[in-house]
Order: sequence, then structure tokens, then C-alpha cells
Amino acid sequence: MNSVATAAVHIFGVRHLSPGGSLHLLELLQELQPTAVLIEGPSDANSEIQHLTNRHSTPPVAILAFTEDIPVRTVLWPFAAYSPEFQAMKWAAENGAHAAFIDLPSSVTVTMQQLRLEAKENVEEEETEDGKPSGSDSFDDSSIYSRIATIAGEHDYDMYWERNYELNPSKGVYREAIIAFSTQMRELTEEDERQHQRVEYAYNAVREAYMRRQIQDTIAAGHEPNRIVVVCGAYHAAALAQDSYVMTDQEWTHLPSRKTKLTLMPYSYYKLSSMSGYGAGNHAPHYYEMMWERMQTNTLEELPYYYLSSIARWMRETGNHRSTAEVIEAVRLAEALAALHGGSAPTLRDLRDAAQTLLGRGDLSVIAEALARVDVGTAIGSLAEGVSQTPIQDDLNRMLKQLKLEKYKTTVATDLSLDLRENRRVTSEESTFLDLNRSTLLHRLAWLGISFAKLRPSGQEHATWAEYWVIQWSPEVEIQVVESTLLGETIEVASAYVLQQKLDSCSTIAEASWLIRTACDCRMLEQMETARQTLQRLAADSRDVIQIAAAAKELSMIIGYGGLRRMDTARLLPLLEQLFMRACLFLLDAAQCNDEAATDMMSAMNELNRISLEHSEQVDESLWLQELLHLSERDDRNPRLSGFACAILMERHAITAQQCAEEVSRRLSPGIPADLGAGWFEGLSQRNRYALLSRQSLWEQLNAYIVSLSDDEFARALVFLRRAFSSFAPREKTMIAELLGELWGVHADQAAEILTGELKEDEVKMIDELNDFDFEDF
Amino acid sequence: MVTSQEQWQDMMCLPAEQLYQEEIAALKKADKGKIPVGWQMSPQSVLTFITGGKVGKTVITPKYIGNKRLVEMAIATLVTDRALLLIGEPGTAKSWLSENLTAAIYGHSGLVVQGTAGTSEEHVRYSWNYAMLLANGPTPEALVQSPVMRAMEAGGIARFEEISRCASEVQDALISILSEKTISVPELGREVSARKGFSIIATANTRDRGVNEMSAALKRRFNILILPTPSDMDTEVEIVKKRVREIASSYDLQAAVPADEALIKVVTIFRELRSGMTLDKKEKLKSPAGVISTAEAISLLTNSMALAASFGNGEITDEDLAAGLQGAIVKDDVKDKLVWKEYLDNVMKKRGAEWRGLYTACKEMNE
Repeated sequence: MNSVATAAVHIFGVRHLSPGGSLHLLELLQELQPTAVLIEGPSDANSEIQHLTNRHSTPPVAILAFTEDIPVRTVLWPFAAYSPEFQAMKWAAENGAHAAFIDLPSSVTVTMQQLRLEAKENVEEEETEDGKPSGSDSFDDSSIYSRIATIAGEHDYDMYWERNYELNPSKGVYREAIIAFSTQMRELTEEDERQHQRVEYAYNAVREAYMRRQIQDTIAAGHEPNRIVVVCGAYHAAALAQDSYVMTDQEWTHLPSRKTKLTLMPYSYYKLSSMSGYGAGNHAPHYYEMMWERMQTNTLEELPYYYLSSIARWMRETGNHRSTAEVIEAVRLAEALAALHGGSAPTLRDLRDAAQTLLGRGDLSVIAEALARVDVGTAIGSLAEGVSQTPIQDDLNRMLKQLKLEKYKTTVATDLSLDLRENRRVTSEESTFLDLNRSTLLHRLAWLGISFAKLRPSGQEHATWAEYWVIQWSPEVEIQVVESTLLGETIEVASAYVLQQKLDSCSTIAEASWLIRTACDCRMLEQMETARQTLQRLAADSRDVIQIAAAAKELSMIIGYGGLRRMDTARLLPLLEQLFMRACLFLLDAAQCNDEAATDMMSAMNELNRISLEHSEQVDESLWLQELLHLSERDDRNPRLSGFACAILMERHAITAQQCAEEVSRRLSPGIPADLGAGWFEGLSQRNRYALLSRQSLWEQLNAYIVSLSDDEFARALVFLRRAFSSFAPREKTMIAELLGELWGVHADQAAEILTGELKEDEVKMIDELNDFDFEDF
Repeated sequence: MVTSQEQWQDMMCLPAEQLYQEEIAALKKADKGKIPVGWQMSPQSVLTFITGGKVGKTVITPKYIGNKRLVEMAIATLVTDRALLLIGEPGTAKSWLSENLTAAIYGHSGLVVQGTAGTSEEHVRYSWNYAMLLANGPTPEALVQSPVMRAMEAGGIARFEEISRCASEVQDALISILSEKTISVPELGREVSARKGFSIIATANTRDRGVNEMSAALKRRFNILILPTPSDMDTEVEIVKKRVREIASSYDLQAAVPADEALIKVVTIFRELRSGMTLDKKEKLKSPAGVISTAEAISLLTNSMALAASFGNGEITDEDLAAGLQGAIVKDDVKDKLVWKEYLDNVMKKRGAEWRGLYTACKEMNE
């Protein structure tokens, strides 16, 4: 090929997300009116260019390449509105120029990325083996950048870049400065890279050889060399400008490659700001968008006003008033800071510092949220319908096919009932657990917020092997699936990611135990272990018996039915044991509570008792009974809870009939205040009524006690007794009537008639009066 | 007639403009930047004066170590005629920074209002020489100007120390001064207007928050900078080393400057107790109730030097350090004693042979 021809091609080096670059690039394109615009990007994605420049597409969007087979690897090329590459494509589309990507195709990039990653890991391993810290005799990228910044008197490289490149309005300076910068940078690092980071060096060499080849091919296709503009990363600018090695066909066939698929996907500013590597300096996408807007209207000098006013406005909206005078002073401070560095306009850092000093009154935390809003922004891109095909969509389709759920992918709501048990009538492993796998997938989708299937609460509470789902496909579901790509490449990875995030921010026992349950439903072993640790950590600090009991209940459920989901729940047993122990130890403390809390405590005690029976091998049953005994004997705790403890002990035959009778007579002896005695009885009557009803002596004692009460005290006792008996079933009430009839020597039917019959008018009135009963100090 | 050099010789503490006379002169001589009205050097030179550097053959010692950006923001504030408020924990070099900034920009750091609970509005505005007032009525001669008023007339910088210690009506007096930039003297029928270059640098203590909370109106008239405690071990060691050396030479202490080893030990103990965990972040510690600032580490070390010089052989021993540590950490609180004991046994004891001597000395002292 003719090297003179190649030299005439216009190379424009950019930073990948740079409004300044876009501005100067557009100026150059307008001036040169090229017939071909070549862009650093995957050369197999050329067909996506028309979708990118389609008027229905709104950046930020990204080209996504992913391998078709497992393990899924992905590479992303994000574009914002102010990306020079994006602007170049748009210009080409509007001006009828040929636009094409010239970097290695994604199939090669995916594989080479993997090689680079492995090489990096190897280097790290070697270094740790040698005990040599990295960067001792090799150049560290970050150190070079920070050295450049220090020499220029800036605090970091971003500030240096923004002041000298983004905000530099002089025509042509951007391009020349970048070529000079790139040349010097390469001189500084190339030799070192060749020796110490050979994979990195080779990677760049291969890419550049390929890009040169593409440029030559474009010339060969008939474009005038001086009417070709190449847009590439600053680092490659110098290398492409030089006449150097060009890749041959034979070499091309030797490149490693894996089959990939390409798609466009909507991207978000948040994602853009949190991603590292590609085109550093996009930590504030919304700020750069503001900059780009101002550049287009040629009012860049107004950027500080807009930026600082936006922050003040956001603060006002959230209830922190900030005056316009403060915004004015902030602008002045930012400009003074810029002047200290001899710059023409304030950089983002200057603006942020000014905002902190004036609008935050010195405090960063006050303005942190506003800064995040204005710097990063919440924009999410969009694409024309049907353009997007992401790996997670692929994964979902693959799973639906595998689980024979494809026929449910309709917009008509369909019922699906699942039997999670092993299906013994079929032979293959896959179909044995078909329903279980289906359930897992649907749980995962629900967890990701994808509204494809909804779990319908089943009527039978204890048929844990059955699940009823309502399945419906809709366009929203499609969008939700695409959006989940940002969380992970497959449904499984994405759900694990979300679960992990929840776990990291989890702060209550109830939430942690709920997350364990979710991990079990979604069959995520690793996260289940993390969740277990989280719960353990939180429980260690908690003394709240009600919460601990609720968590223990969740755990015992999971342990009981985890086998159904083929989850190994053995690791949860020690935790259950620990929780149970804590609940027992704090039971006595927690029982010192008011009546309102006592209701919750009773259900907690119920659960604990159930657990002590169900998992009697693991948990310390004797400790439980012992603590119950303490509670039942104590007079200074909530009497209902003491009574309830006694009821449990009775039911479990932990106290003898003799002991029980003694306790009843002690509690119901004349002279005991009505609220204590009747309250205690109320607690006692909450469980195993048959045991109560079969004890004649108990009723005798109760009768004797009530008779002994004065009128005033009787009214008090009535409140508790009425509440206690209100939960009895009619049949039980009849039995009580029989008992009392016997006691009073009247006919059972007669007693029943009086006791269960309608109230007379004056009786109603008397009871109504009780509603106004003055509870005084209890 | 005494020369100015002699005049300053036996002062306890030299003002910054005297202490760094030569550096200021060198900076002024070499200054090429644009000098704002009322300033004696360009903002860039002020920055060099505070953060250190080299001008011609003169080495400029760094006065504020650690956070260059904060100094830049302070200077930029003063360039824009705004008043500056420095807030921070005790011992974060607020006054030190304010004095040096004033010395560099205005050349005279003596116009100071010391804020106390007893500071009255007269200290901020003006008062009268009552003998003259009674004899001649209100005359310009009888007027006693406050430092703030003098700074306004001269176009200089006044310093207001511990502003949050003052009663709120005294703070309020500043509001109109800062927005109108004039003080009117109705008795004389005249107004004193500020000349260009006038500004105020105030300091306030975060631990005083709530004593006399500054009003929003006043806060709005200041650019507020929060001075942090030194961000890392090396910075703090450097600060302590530099100040200890300076103080030792100005007090003429006849003792060796503490070895780096002792310095690092003291700073380690201070940092760990301040942050409530060991440096490797593996162990949680209890922090004492009082503040343990860098400034205290400095005074602890100079104290130990004085002890060593007066009662020892001039070398700082572990016992000297232990006495200082006990004083700095255990402040009239029984709880602090337990915190210190816990730290000694749980952390220091396990640190090995190098710490053994100090541990034993501290242990004895804390009995």
C-alpha cells in the first residue's frame, strides 16, 4: 500500500466521553467534509450504526457484545450524547458520508480481554511470590497520570484534562495537543510495556495493525485519503498517524476468537459513572452533558451559573433554602479558584469545592445528594422497539425453552400450578425436578422485579410443595428484562447481584431472615451463606425476643422445607440454635412489658415452643422449659405472660398436676388484685383449653376467687375474664357452662342458657359502662 | 532607640510576619503575578508562602501541611473580598492558618479580636476613651477603634478568634459590617468605609457547636472551610516534627529533639485513640472523652523536652513521655483512666519489645 496516501488521512484523537472532543471534531468534519468517517469500535457492529443514529434512539446507549455459549462474557461500548464517536456517526448520517467501525471485531475483543485478564492475574501472582511490590521498576499508569497533574500544578489528572482540553476553546488546539500528548506518552511507556506488560503491548499492537488495515481498505475502496477522518482514542492517535505495520490476511486468521452476538441496549448515566476503565473521566456524565449543551449554543462561559444554580435549586426542593446571593458568591469563588491555576473557566472540582464552601456552608454531607444528582444524573437511554437483544434476554429464552415454559410467553394470563416434589414417574433427571426448576426461575424473576409471573397465595397453608403462579407476558416485562442486563448477564447472576446488594445494606433481623428465605426460594447457595452470616452478626447485638423469634421461625421453616428445594440447610442449624438460645435468655427481660406488647410476645412464645418441639435435637429444650418455669413463677412480670408460660408448661407436662393446682390457688387467692389474677387466668386460657376444661379443681378455684372479690374489683376482673372467654368457641363455652353448672348445683342446660343466651337490656347497659372503665394506673 | 529586631527578641511568640520576614521579602521580590488591590503579594505567592516551595535561593518552609486545596480555597475566598470562616476540631491549626494568611496578604497579623463570653459589641465596632469623652465630648481623638475598624480603614485583614464563643448579639454586629462594609459613628456624624483589601478571617471550634450557634444570616456572609484532622499518619508525623523543632528553637530548650521513633509512637497512640480503632483497623477501641489533637501531641513532646532538659540529661526518656501521655489522655475523668488502661493492656502491651519501655512507664503512671 501507498504510505504517502495513508499519511494524508486525518487522525483525530479523543477521550471517549468528551464534549470538548465532540465540539472540535464537528468543527473539523464541517471544514473537511470527508467522504468517510472511521471510528474506533467493533468492526462487526457496523450494522448497528444506523440504529444508533436513528431518531428514536436517545443516548446513553451502549453496544453490547456477548458470547453465545457459557460462560457468558461481555464487552460494552457505551455512548453518551457528547461522545465524539456518537457525534461523528450522527454527522456522517446527516451528511451522507460513509461511517464505519474499524477496531477488532467483538469476537476477537472478547477473547483478548480474557487473555489480558489472565495475564494480569498471573503478573500479580508472580509479584506476590517474589514479594516485590508492583510498580517498583515498571511504570504504573496511575502514577504517570498523577505526575502529569502535579507538574501542571493540578490536584488530579481529571482537573488537568478538563482545564487543558475540555475547556480550551481555541480551534485546532485540542487535536494537536492530543497528538503531541499521545506521542510523548507512548515514548514514556511503550518500552516499559514491551518489557513488563507484554500482553498489554501485544494487544495494542494488534489493534493498531488492524485499524491501519481498515484505513487502507477504505482508501482502496475509493475514498480520497485526505477526505477520510479517523476518530480514535488519544492513546492510539500517534500510532495511527505514523506509517507502520499493517495486518495481513494470514495474520487475521490466526487471531483467537469466540462467536459473539451484538446488540444495542439502553444505558444509564449512573452505570456510566460507576464504570471504570473505558474512557475514564465520565464520573460526572450529567455535568458533561450540561457542558455539551452549553457548547452547542456557544455559551460555555455560562456553565458555572447553570451548575451551581442547579445545585441550589435541588437543595431548595429538598427543603434547604439557599439564596441567589450564595450562588453568586459560589460562582465568584469558583472563578477565583480557576484563576489561581491560570485557567479560563472553572473545572468541575472548582465548582464542587465552591458549592461545598458556599451552598454546603463548609459541609460536604449537606450537598452530597444534590451533587450526585447534578454530576451523575439519572438519565436512562432508550432505543427504537425491537432493536435490543441482550444476553439476559437470551438467557431467559434459553431457560424458558429448557423448562418447557415457552407456551406461557403470551399476553394472556395463564395459571400454572407446580408440584415441587420429586416426580418419580419420569426417568430423566431433568424432568424429575422440572417443577422445582420452574419455581426457582419464577422466584428469581419475581425477585428481579420482572413482572412475568406472580405467586398466588395458596389456600392450603401447609402444602409447601405446591405453588400456584399466574403468568403473563407484556412489553413491560421485555423492558424489565433488558434493564436487568445492567445487573448481570444471566438471570442467576443478576438475582445474586441484587441479593448481595440487599444484604450489604441489611440492618434488621427480620430483613436478614427474609433474605435467607429469598435465597432459599431462588436457590442461591452462596448468598444464603452470606445471608446467614448477616443474620448471625445482627442477632448477636439484638435483645428483641419478638424479632429473634420471628427470625427463628423463618429459619425453622426453611430448615423444615429446604430439602424440598434441594438446598443444604445444615449450616442453618447452629444459627437456629443460637437464636433460640438468645430468645430464651432474654425471655424473662422481655416479659416485663405492657399488655399491648404481651400479645406479640405470646405469639413469639408460641413460635419458640413450636421450634423447641420440632427441632428438639438441635435446640436447648431444657433451657426453654427452665426459663418458662422462671417466668411462670415470677409475680413481677406481665401476668398474662406468666399465665401463658404456665399453660405451655402444663401442656408439656413439665409441671405436675399438684404443682399446677398450687400455682392456680396461689394466683387466684383472695386478696390478689383483680387485674393480676384475672390477667393471669387470661394468659393461662390461651392454650390447650381441653386441659383446662378437664380440670374441675381449676374452676372451683376460679369460682372461689371471683366470689371473694369486692364489687369494684369484680368489675375490673370482668374486663379480663370477658376478654379471655371471648376467644372460646361456642362448644367450649357450653362445656364451661356444664362445669359451672355442676359446681353451682344447677342443671347444665339451665346454666348454659344463662351463660350463652342473649343479654338482657340492663345487662347490656352494665357492660357498656364497663367500656368506660377507668383502668387507673395499669 | 531599639531596633525592631531587638524589640522582638524576647517576645514569647513572634507574629508570623516577623518569624518569616525573610521568606516574605523574597516572595515579594520575586513576585510576577497580578497583585490584588490591598495585598502585598499575588495569590500564587501567598499559596507558596503557606504550602512551601522555593523562590530563587530562598526556601519557603511549608506552614500548613497536608491539604493544599483547602489553602487554595481560602486564598480564592479572600481574593473575592469575602470573609473567611475556618471551622475545625481543637488543634487543627485554624488560628495558625489564619495568622499566616494575614501575614502573607496584609503583612500585619496583629488586628485580632479574641472572642470570649465577655466580648462586647464595642470590641467589634468602637468604644470611647471616657476621660477624653467627658472632657471634650465626642471627638475623633476620643474614639477607640476596634481592630475590625482599623482593618477597614487600612484595607487590611482583621482576625476574629473563636467567634462562636461570643454572645449572639456580638456576632450579629458583624452582619452589617460584612454586608455594608462600613461602620457608622453617629456621635461624630461620620462613617468609616472599608478600603479595598479589607476582609475578616474568623475561626470557630466544632466542639463549641451549640454554645452560641452562629445565625444563618452570619454564616451566609462567610465562606466556610472545615479544617480536617491530618488525613494520614505521615502527614501528622511531619506536622508534629516540624512544629516541635520550631518551638524547641524559639524557647531555646536545652534538650535533644525527640527521635523519630518516639514521635511515631506518640502520633500512633493519638491517632488510634482519636479514630477509635487500631491503625490496621482490626481492633475497635474506646476513645477518651476529651479531644486529642495534633496540637496536643506537639505540646506533649515539647513538655517532655522541657522535663528532660530541666530534670534529666537532655534525652527524652519513656518516663517523660508517659507523664505527658497521662496528662494529655486522662483529663479529669475517671472513665478516661479506664480507657487508657484498656488501651495499654489490649493494644500497647502486645506491640512487642520496642514498646515495652513506654508500656511499663505508662502502666506505672496510670496506677
